[in-house]
Amino acid sequence: MVTLQKQLSVDYTKCTGCRLCELACSAKHEGVFQPSLARLRIVKYDDLGLDIPNVCGPCEEAPCVDICPVYAMRRDPVTKMVYLEEDKCILCKACVGVCTAGVIRLDTVAMRIIKCDHCGGDPECVKICPTGAITYGTPAQTAVVERHGKLKAYVAEIHRNAMKE
Amino acid sequence: MGLGGYTGKILRIDLSRDTVRVDALPREWIHQFIGGDGFAAKILYEEVPGGTDPLSPANKLILATGPITGTLWPMSGRTVFVSKGAQTGIWAESHVGGFIGPELRYAGYDVLVVEGKSEKPVYVFIEDDHVELVDASHLWGLTTSEATMKIQEEQRDPDIQVAAIGLAGERLVKFAALIVNHARAAGRTGMGAVLGSKNVKAIAIRGHGGISVANHEEFVALAKRAQERVRVNPQAKEMGKWGTWILTAVKQEIGELPTYNHRTGVFSGWEQLSGDHIRPRYTVSDRACFGCSLGCKKVNYIPDGPYAGTLEEGPEYEGLMAFGSVLGIDDYPTTLKANQICNKYGMDIISAGTTIGFAIEAFEQGVLTEEDTGGLKLQWNDRDLAIRLLEMIGRREGFGDILAEGSREAARRIGRGAEKYAMHVKGLEISGQDGRTHRSIALSHATGARGADHLRSLVTVDQLGYEKVAAQRWGSDKLPEIINPYTEKYKATAVVETENTYCIRDTLIVCWYSVSWPPIFWMNDFAEVLPIATGVEEFGSVERLTEIAERQVTLKRLFNAREGISRKDDQLPERFLKEPMPEGPGKGQVVHLDPMLDDYYRLRGWDLKTGLPTKDTIRRLSLQWAT
Ligand code: SF4
Ligand code: SF4
Ligand code: SF4
Ligand code: SF4
Repeated sequence: MVTLQKQLSVDYTKCTGCRLCELACSAKHEGVFQPSLARLRIVKYDDLGLDIPNVCGPCEEAPCVDICPVYAMRRDPVTKMVYLEEDKCILCKACVGVCTAGVIRLDTVAMRIIKCDHCGGDPECVKICPTGAITYGTPAQTAVVERHGKLKAYVAEIHRNAMKE
Repeated sequence: MGLGGYTGKILRIDLSRDTVRVDALPREWIHQFIGGDGFAAKILYEEVPGGTDPLSPANKLILATGPITGTLWPMSGRTVFVSKGAQTGIWAESHVGGFIGPELRYAGYDVLVVEGKSEKPVYVFIEDDHVELVDASHLWGLTTSEATMKIQEEQRDPDIQVAAIGLAGERLVKFAALIVNHARAAGRTGMGAVLGSKNVKAIAIRGHGGISVANHEEFVALAKRAQERVRVNPQAKEMGKWGTWILTAVKQEIGELPTYNHRTGVFSGWEQLSGDHIRPRYTVSDRACFGCSLGCKKVNYIPDGPYAGTLEEGPEYEGLMAFGSVLGIDDYPTTLKANQICNKYGMDIISAGTTIGFAIEAFEQGVLTEEDTGGLKLQWNDRDLAIRLLEMIGRREGFGDILAEGSREAARRIGRGAEKYAMHVKGLEISGQDGRTHRSIALSHATGARGADHLRSLVTVDQLGYEKVAAQRWGSDKLPEIINPYTEKYKATAVVETENTYCIRDTLIVCWYSVSWPPIFWMNDFAEVLPIATGVEEFGSVERLTEIAERQVTLKRLFNAREGISRKDDQLPERFLKEPMPEGPGKGQVVHLDPMLDDYYRLRGWDLKTGLPTKDTIRRLSLQWAT
């Protein structure tokens, strides 16, 4: 059987910033509604009207794996998904700082690292997302290009108007 | 605490003494009021005595949430600010979306009460247990958006949620608003002026905790089904696409689009203010409040013309009305520009536009002259004038200073019969409806606890002719009259039952767009979710919820009664009672208010003569403590 390289893909142009994904993630993994313990984050730019979902992967290089001194962060060579082996972790927090998406988090109450595990292949965030801004599958190149469309349009307009003034 | 949903804590900040206190949320309040508006009514009645000057340190600003705020339940991110109204001097409340309510809960509190007055400009910063008054002299004078970003920057956390005032709040414009997330307004009744009078630039909140409900598994399953109901609802889908802009066409069709200061309900330039026109030309992104799968917020960009480069969310239908049809302006970019100014300065767009409409009509009728306006010629469909006046109001400059008082007070100061053109009830400007062609809203406007209100009891079922829904809710024996917009008959029945449901909506707190329009969730849905969320079994009965709603309405009424409000104030501007609708499908219609008021008081258990709650009603609702 062939293992497909399934990943979480993000399309900012669709995201409304509702943060239902954060709620659903914490509801599933923590049994509470607590965005600070969600394994993904929505970064909001209210002044621009933009909302950008940050999820784990796909990273070309996985800095969290490289930096972990005890090899608690492991990368599946086929799916490229990074997993945390909690019992190995010594809580040095290096991965928290180095994650480019800011989605490796420290639970300051239970003192543990929390990280997305793709919900074992059935992602809760994808199921709740009302707009299709997060999807799960083999990433298509087109989506990656499209997702910069909104940002590019904004920057172009701002530039155009700055030139006018 | 032991109850699901609640954090069980009330945070109290005394600005005069620079002290912070955390009180336990009394269990009895939960049984009597559920949350939100109910908690706030209890606090305001008990702690802000009759006759208090709204802009004095004795007034309080309350931020209240409900037991499902910040959960997976659809549109549960909304919050209410409550105070004695800066603009009206009576009960004042303003609901807002965005994210600040959930953040307060994650910080560990159900309710925040801000009282007293700070000596120097400050902002309130709450991060979980840490509560601090931070010097804000460097933020004074900034726009709401600038202040918000500055606070996030200096506290080094972009996830801090901020409710800020702008120049209008600082200068005590009576309809100054609190703005959250750059563009969502706790708009009405002057909450911004209350905060400004306390020398507080902003309330900034960050919470890292969570909300637990009584039965997590069942709640999540129910909430997911509820989200699904929103998603597949055809009207909700339309709302997601067009936002409230969809209403322009609806209102025009039934002759209820307020035009030329509410003179008529038909506007020849309506198409320029409709979703069909706006979305393809200007909309760049769709956004939502916390937990909302509908997403009615639209971010728009003006590529050319005098307002080129304006990038802003909104405005809602109400803004299209207030800076469009009410002023005779058939131009969407003007309304977006006006909305941006209202957001920056922190002002209520409805009151601002309608107060300008008042001035234009008074000028047209010769009541105001260039001497009063400082040389400005006021006229309809003058885009530059509208924008200019709006800025003058925000700064309280020149003629803007008197308009910054709102139409009632401005008319009083001007005299010469100007009151005739002031479209307000109890000091609050009339929202984007017209009782002549939608009779139930006449009763809502007249009886709304905060004045001419479209959010506390607006019946949409009659307006849109939902026959089936009407039969289900009120009985088929009341058809067809109950959905006939031109008759007074049965309107009080519809208004009272609707107001009761909205009261529970405002205790949870959930958005009006899942309850009111489109009507997806109603009392029975609340009765289903509340026991699962809270573990309080009695919330499972619609009768009990109705009683809690009646208690809330009557308590607000008692608050207003203490300020001198009675039947004589449950009125409408003469225009709606005496000037027949001049054109459109409802041509010739006027409002006959008295029979509806009689019915309303009867159903509420209030005295017909005075319009005040009777002793029996007060006893039945266990409100003896409030008399
Ligand atoms: S916190 Fe744990 S997983 Fe992260 S880098 Fe340190 S040891 Fe590795
Ligand atoms: S895939 Fe699962 S664990 Fe990962 S962010 Fe989504 S809901 Fe959370
Ligand atoms: S659920 Fe979807 S639309 Fe909502 S914030 Fe998350 S990614 Fe964006
Ligand atoms: S429907 Fe609109 S106002 Fe209501 S919660 Fe959703 S985005 Fe906010």
